[in-house]
Amino acid sequence: MPEFSTEPFFEIARRLEVRGETGWLAVLSPATDSTAALDELQTELQSVLQKLTRVIQLEASTFEKLRDTLHQPDDDAVILSGGAGLTPEKWRTLDIMRSALERKGPVILWLAPDDIANLANLAPNIRSLIGGSIFVAGPDGGIMTETERQYRLKQLSEHFGLTGEEVVRKAEARELPHDPEFVEWLVLLDRGDLV
Amino acid sequence: MPSSLTALQGQLSRRDKFRAYMQAFNPTAPARDVIEAGLVCEDLHQSLYRNLAARADLEPGSQQLLVGGVGSGKTTEMLLARRWLLAQAHVLPLYIDVSKATDLGGLNTGSLVASLGLSIAAHLAPGFKDYGPGGKLKAELGGPFDKLWSYAYGKFERVYVAEGDDFPDDFDLDDSEDEKGHYTFKRIPGKLRPPMPSLEREIQDIREPLAEFLSYLRKTQREIVVIFDGLDRLLDATKFWSVVHQDLRLLRQLKVSVLATAPLSVLFGAGVGQSISDHFDRVHHLSVIASGPENTSLQSVLEKRRASELLNLQEADSICYYSGGVLRDLISLSRDAAEEAYVSDRDSITADDVKKVVHQLGTGYLRGLGPRAIQTLLQLQNSKSFDVSLPANVELLLTRRVLECSSTDFRVHPALLSVIPQPEPKRA
Repeated sequence: MPEFSTEPFFEIARRLEVRGETGWLAVLSPATDSTAALDELQTELQSVLQKLTRVIQLEASTFEKLRDTLHQPDDDAVILSGGAGLTPEKWRTLDIMRSALERKGPVILWLAPDDIANLANLAPNIRSLIGGSIFVAGPDGGIMTETERQYRLKQLSEHFGLTGEEVVRKAEARELPHDPEFVEWLVLLDRGDLV
Repeated sequence: MPSSLTALQGQLSRRDKFRAYMQAFNPTAPARDVIEAGLVCEDLHQSLYRNLAARADLEPGSQQLLVGGVGSGKTTEMLLARRWLLAQAHVLPLYIDVSKATDLGGLNTGSLVASLGLSIAAHLAPGFKDYGPGGKLKAELGGPFDKLWSYAYGKFERVYVAEGDDFPDDFDLDDSEDEKGHYTFKRIPGKLRPPMPSLEREIQDIREPLAEFLSYLRKTQREIVVIFDGLDRLLDATKFWSVVHQDLRLLRQLKVSVLATAPLSVLFGAGVGQSISDHFDRVHHLSVIASGPENTSLQSVLEKRRASELLNLQEADSICYYSGGVLRDLISLSRDAAEEAYVSDRDSITADDVKKVVHQLGTGYLRGLGPRAIQTLLQLQNSKSFDVSLPANVELLLTRRVLECSSTDFRVHPALLSVIPQPEPKRA
């Protein structure tokens, strides 16, 4: 099955920045630590875009409340969080009210990976705005130069007293803890498939 | 070797160049802004907007429908029609994006008429101040305005409740009791504020005040053309018809010309679709735009936005092809390809950038499709066979997995087709 591109939050924020700070995109949350990742995305967007970034829970919002929240103000960045899973009815309602969701500032849909099917099937108007801008949330590391990557790998190796090969072997044997440092290590070794 | 200052200036120039391109290719920019910026090819659909506008102008009370898939450019055509009508001076075109103002999903009969009434009232007196005490329009239109307002937003009515009667949920506190019963205030909900009420009054209730507003406008020899946009969001044809049919009947009686957008299910869905088409004086279909050596309309769209700043002819052709002729996908792919080039530190768009963004778009269309739907798509691709009377196939049209080149010619969205896993050949 084809996959969406995986991008670190910094890259996602950079994409929005070059667009002129408008536009829509969707980010598929990681299966674990979704709340922490959402906080991280919010921080990264605020840092790169240099503007307030709000998180709005979609499940709890009525038409009027959502419309008003998005337009007061309408030029900051907002992350619309799908939460644990929106009902089909809520998806249809969101799709119908697409015009009311349009605003000056960027809109980021934060969705669970399974929700992308609902976006495609139940909300074609919103999907059309997003186009192909659907990214899987990935760990940071993408903007490092090769020198920086080697330096970070050395740091990790010295800190944990392990070589890269040992980390890969442990991950393959499912003996590696799910700590962020090990995730980063595997990604830097281009073995994100083991995460 | 350039100095650090020179390198920084080069970086800024590159960023500015990409940002300018991105602004021209913004698929979420309001259509009104895009038109004003001169980025629209007005003859893209054989100047359809002129046909729409001219008929509305010449035939007061005519009703026309503009049907098209998501991202086909309906709003742009409607706004161009509005601009053309405005230029005629004797017509007042009122553009109403119904889905922007109120919860379209909860709309019912009377909502469109209420929207039009308020739109006329706002045109005559921005902010509605002149309808109140001391206002300029109080004597002539104060009464009709009050009726319009309460029709749209609801009102309270004083009612008597006999002793022992149950209290309905929407009753307010009693303020005037006696031994046998009491008076209370009951809220009569309006048409434009969610949650939407069930129909409590006949739509004819609003005919008289609306007619007074129309007659006031016609004293200045201005005919009304109302453009209802956003109704195409009601993807289900039955829902669409249930919302609009009573309102359109009234507007025809009042000789108000109507242009309205509608979803593709009006053309292709079984059952109600045909009766909807029969109701309108004309139904215009905005199909996808063909791309190929004989038709370079899509390339013209790119050139109008100065795509050649970053995009060579070969990659431009590739983007046109993979857009499937869906205008918003064309704009999105052009923008996304530039974005890929930018984040990859390239100075212009390469074939790899286009390939990547086509993959992204196609994957978005692919998600949510089951084996049966994929089989249908492959069958369409291989045998050109597509039964448009099946609800599952109408869904494929509404979600843009299948594109309509005409009312009888369908094809799989090229970006989607590029990522569909091909079945393994059968072994002998």
